[in-house]
Amino acid sequence: MSTATTAPNPSKPSTSRAPSFSPQRMLHLARWNAVLLGRNKLSLLYAVVLPLAPLALLLAGDQGDESIGAQAATTMLLVTVLFPVYYNVLSQFVSRRDELVLKRMRTGETRDAELLVGIALPGVVIAAGIMVVGVIAAWAAGQMLPVVPLLLAAGVLLALVMFAAFAYWTAAWTRSAESAQMTSLPIILIASVGPLGAAMTNLPDVVSQVIERTPGAAMGELIRVAWFGLDGVTATESTLSTADAWSAAGSPLLVMAAWTLLAVGLAQHSMRWEPRS
Amino acid sequence: MNTDTHSTAYAIRVRGLRRTYGQGASAYEAVRGVDLDVPTGTITALLGTNGAGKTSTLEVIEGLAAPTAGAVRVLGLDPVADRAAVRRRVGVLLQKSGFSGDLTVRETLRLWHGTLSDPRPVEEMIERLDLAHRADTRMLSLSGGETRRVDLACTLMGNPEVVVLDEPTTGLDPESRRDVWRLVEELRDAGSTVLITTHYLDEAEALADRLEIMHGGEIVRSGTATEIAAGHPSQISFDQLPDDSAPRDVLAVTQVRHDRGRTTLETSDLQTSLAHLLAWAERHDVRFGGLDAHSPSLETVFLSIADGRDPRPDQAPQPGADQPTPAATDQPATTREEILR
Repeated sequence: MSTATTAPNPSKPSTSRAPSFSPQRMLHLARWNAVLLGRNKLSLLYAVVLPLAPLALLLAGDQGDESIGAQAATTMLLVTVLFPVYYNVLSQFVSRRDELVLKRMRTGETRDAELLVGIALPGVVIAAGIMVVGVIAAWAAGQMLPVVPLLLAAGVLLALVMFAAFAYWTAAWTRSAESAQMTSLPIILIASVGPLGAAMTNLPDVVSQVIERTPGAAMGELIRVAWFGLDGVTATESTLSTADAWSAAGSPLLVMAAWTLLAVGLAQHSMRWEPRS
Repeated sequence: MNTDTHSTAYAIRVRGLRRTYGQGASAYEAVRGVDLDVPTGTITALLGTNGAGKTSTLEVIEGLAAPTAGAVRVLGLDPVADRAAVRRRVGVLLQKSGFSGDLTVRETLRLWHGTLSDPRPVEEMIERLDLAHRADTRMLSLSGGETRRVDLACTLMGNPEVVVLDEPTTGLDPESRRDVWRLVEELRDAGSTVLITTHYLDEAEALADRLEIMHGGEIVRSGTATEIAAGHPSQISFDQLPDDSAPRDVLAVTQVRHDRGRTTLETSDLQTSLAHLLAWAERHDVRFGGLDAHSPSLETVFLSIADGRDPRPDQAPQPGADQPTPAATDQPATTREEILR
């Protein structure tokens, strides 16, 4: 080891308060998390390749049929929030926690919020990119472009935040990266029951009403309204104008916002940074 | 009392620190009222057996945990409330920490570099920690000692005024241990304050300016190695004589023990006892096998504390003349309120 040392810099401000969240540091962490994601082939497969699979549904269906397009787009959004975001963030966070990487980071200047956003951001960016690719691919395959792109983007963003928060909550009671395969199932089921239920008719009213209020059902409704302009769950043709679409989206957005608040609250109250001893 | 002088004289101050894990019947108090002052610009070693509460104490100083009770000030600031201001001036080495195995040494240091507000260059740290030949190796291929050096590079990259090192040499080979201690001395010589825990008493004795010995969640001894050993009995030991015929009234001997074929005498005056004993042996033509006599050392004090024998001297060692700061010599015990100003 070298014998050269440097004296601590006496001009360092001793009382100045750093901002509680540094976007620059968060982006720096996100970049390295993206590098790590790229080096783990299995994670990359889950995060990028799998969510692209539902595109095949879009291309295979009766092109130009809005209700089929809406189903394929809903499946794509579901897979996109579940794999690049939910499962990816969950397994990245848990493995970093188990390796004591997070504990090490927290001894430095990095703030907890920067760590959390930095871990989630690569998956969120991948998910957003997949949705953009999906819209273009669907259009190329003869489907319509989104009726209200801004509304669709807002809904997708809300869904991404919701599932990132669910990932951190799930991490609190996930013992290891392997056990994430089991602990992720409840959220995956809650998210999937809506799109699955949509395919089932003859359900009792009470059950339908409960299913409508699940995050997946709300996301499906948002896709139908904001992208395809479909008015109501049984509509098969695009009829909604921009203004009608905004008002029709109120209910699914409200359901999604409620789930997002719940997810963030649960994550905040259960955060665990070190492995169980 | 001028609080500014205080925060200059002591880089770290701890008053009445308590930490309790769990709740109700299963609650366990790991730290039971620790007072600790680390004078600025010194190396202070926190010693103790496993489970003594060292790491639990350090975690509060590092700002990783809030105290159950008591107060901690680092550079005059609260490590939790003034987190951002404290963190940029403090470097921490955890007893156990981890890195992403898929990143190389250089990438790991660049990742850490980007999180600091006033970092030293990555290449300088690679040079300083002797990692140049491993710079492009992935972390998962490194040996334990090499990983520890990367860890230390992160600790020191922010050019910290206060360095907290939790067992930096555990698991290292003797040469790496020497390197780490040389680095620690260099930090002190450059003006930094170092708080360190170690299991190697010889190292602590040789390099630390002050020692603090923890046992059962409390600091039971403080001072230099000489101060800590002072007042403790010296020891004379030899192979047990046949028929246990050793004299029972050797001058100045306070205790006689027989253990595994050895007789051990504790004495308050080694020279007197030894002269008396050897004169007796001369008269009776006795030869002591394996005769050994030594003054109290840090190790004997430490072991007696660890064994729970704890021969606490009549009076606690007072801060001596070698206290590094003038403010320290004439200060009575400072209260919790005073460090909170």
